[in-house]
Amino acid sequence: MADLELDSLTKIFHDGDDEIVAVDDVSVSIDDGEFVVVVGPSGCGKSTTLRMVAGLESVTSGTIRLDGESIEDVKSQNRDIAMVFQSYALYPHMTVRGNMAFGLEESTDLPDDEIQRRVEETAELLDIPELLDRKPTELSGGQQQRVALGRAIVRDPAVFLMDEPLSNLDAKLRAQMRTELQRLQEDLGVTTVYVTHDQTEAMTMGDRIAILDGGRLQQVATPLKCYHEPANRFVAGFLGEPAMNFFDVEHRDGTLVAAAFEYPISDDVAADLGSTRELVLGIRPEAVEIGGSVTDEHHFGMTVDVVEPMGDENTVYLTFGDEATETNTLVATTGGMRQISAGQSVVAHIPEDAIHVFDRTSGRALHNRRVKSEDVAEIGPE
Amino acid sequence: MTDTDGETSVATDADSGGTASARTDGGTVTGRTGLRARLARVDAGRVGLYVTLLALVAFYMTPIETGLVTSFKTTQAVTETAPFALPGEGFTLEKWQTAFDVLIRGVGNSVLYAVPATIISALFGSLAAYGLTTTNLSGRYKVAVIAMFVAGIFIPYQAVLIPLTQFWSNVVPLDQLLGFVWALGINDDYVGIVELIVTHVAYGIPICTILFRSYYKNMSEEMIESARLDGASLRRVYRRIVLPLSTPMFAVVLIYQFTQIWNDLLFTLVLVATESSAAAPVVLILAGLGTSQEGTDFALRMAGAFLAALPTLAVYIAFGDEFAEGVAT
Repeated sequence: MADLELDSLTKIFHDGDDEIVAVDDVSVSIDDGEFVVVVGPSGCGKSTTLRMVAGLESVTSGTIRLDGESIEDVKSQNRDIAMVFQSYALYPHMTVRGNMAFGLEESTDLPDDEIQRRVEETAELLDIPELLDRKPTELSGGQQQRVALGRAIVRDPAVFLMDEPLSNLDAKLRAQMRTELQRLQEDLGVTTVYVTHDQTEAMTMGDRIAILDGGRLQQVATPLKCYHEPANRFVAGFLGEPAMNFFDVEHRDGTLVAAAFEYPISDDVAADLGSTRELVLGIRPEAVEIGGSVTDEHHFGMTVDVVEPMGDENTVYLTFGDEATETNTLVATTGGMRQISAGQSVVAHIPEDAIHVFDRTSGRALHNRRVKSEDVAEIGPE
Repeated sequence: MTDTDGETSVATDADSGGTASARTDGGTVTGRTGLRARLARVDAGRVGLYVTLLALVAFYMTPIETGLVTSFKTTQAVTETAPFALPGEGFTLEKWQTAFDVLIRGVGNSVLYAVPATIISALFGSLAAYGLTTTNLSGRYKVAVIAMFVAGIFIPYQAVLIPLTQFWSNVVPLDQLLGFVWALGINDDYVGIVELIVTHVAYGIPICTILFRSYYKNMSEEMIESARLDGASLRRVYRRIVLPLSTPMFAVVLIYQFTQIWNDLLFTLVLVATESSAAAPVVLILAGLGTSQEGTDFALRMAGAFLAALPTLAVYIAFGDEFAEGVAT
């Protein structure tokens, strides 16, 4: 059990004469027992970061500290870190028992019977004692996944690293394992770094999430804070499904002017924007209200273009004019029982307390949605 | 195919006869109606194909069959019957007996160097390949080292014969260095066996390395990394993960190397030289077997050839399953 600190971690790969910056100055402090999810699109450097912590990639510059001691020069086999791989990486010639005992045999001087006791205990915890004498090829994907987890847990390491461990499971099993992993991590209290590209996993599993893009850290915060108060446009667009609506707007005297509409803003919001004129207006689909009548300038008469029924809710594509273009489509979600059909004219309300405004050049969030006071306690840092 | 309709009706016919098995094209149809239908359908192309195949079988099998029947013939029978004809009256096991008596000494000597040389070169090849694939040696150096291994494969035996004798007589005079062994009463001709082991190991490492490398490249990298994170050192990873998983490739390499080394005549000619030597390998004795001033004893030569080939056959059979698995990957 330990706290893990990444300090200005940088990784540069050399491809001939080209330099590829995979991880760029990433700093995160992870507390003892914390579950941090590193999330980002493919190629954002999240796996490289994890592999540097594991010692599988060298560090170009920066420091990794485990319990205050820097470990960049420690070989992976001596780092007291266990990793669960996407492919599970089980040893095919060993039984489940052999797979789970391997780490203890190699990294400790424990007597055989103690190793066996721990292996059986962990198998019990993961509900796989009946699989102990089987080979990995005789197991289903879900069972292999459990063995891979067991192999990490049995060693009782200082840190767990997980590299997309659930992505090879089918959707139902994935959801089940997600819950179970969280429960296990809470029970064991081991510091965990979990890498995924799946934003559902990121939102639901982590105490905090770290969002990476192009090797750079975009935001580290609780999932809800990242969702409701994104640091920049990338975070806002990455989290949430369907994604946040973005409109390029220009700020002209208290009005945001987009290609398809004009959106007046209050003085409070205008104060947040300062003198920046080139902006991006963001609104989450679930914040858009459909129905009612045009009562103020935040209501817009729109045409329904496409409806995607999801059962519990409908995803509705609205257009400001008759023709759907990239700049005039607004995505909204409504309750699944609402009857809405394509071609229908509706009124959409974009409430001012739910809008986000970003600087168009830097992407930085200038104004985020107002969160009601009772939510703030939940969202704020723990 | 224009006779599809005909085929369908034939199949139905046969079905109603109750003796037919379900068939697709090329399958078997039993019963009288089926047989007649099949004869009617025989086309020239298919006949030609089978005739060609049979001719090929005969072409490749005849030398082996000839050798085998010849080895069981008396000297008289060899001259009086056609080479591929069965021995008949002139059957004898005498030639096999003689070949066995003469060669058994050579078989022993051959085993003495072929087995260690095979195992050592396979092991070294495997180790070298492991080092070239899984360690984090910079790619640039790896390419240079691999290039040297590849080049090593293509050095012809003939090109090294003179340097080889020079090496063993001037650079490393093993004969003298091993003086204490001869003092124990072991015939100093056996220095040739030691030289053969070292030479064949050196010559075998490149091909073994390349074969193992291609195998290790397909091994899961994450599995190796996982073992490292589990606390295993590079050496332990090799010992506990890579080596046990290499069995199929070991079968391939062992069979290949053993056959190569067992059958090689050039190095034995240079390093052991005479069939009268106490350390003469089987190939050396075989080369002179059945040849004398009175003429060639073909039956004896054939029996000897089959005897000398048996161990390589045995190795193939012993590692057959693993070999197939290793070749498939």
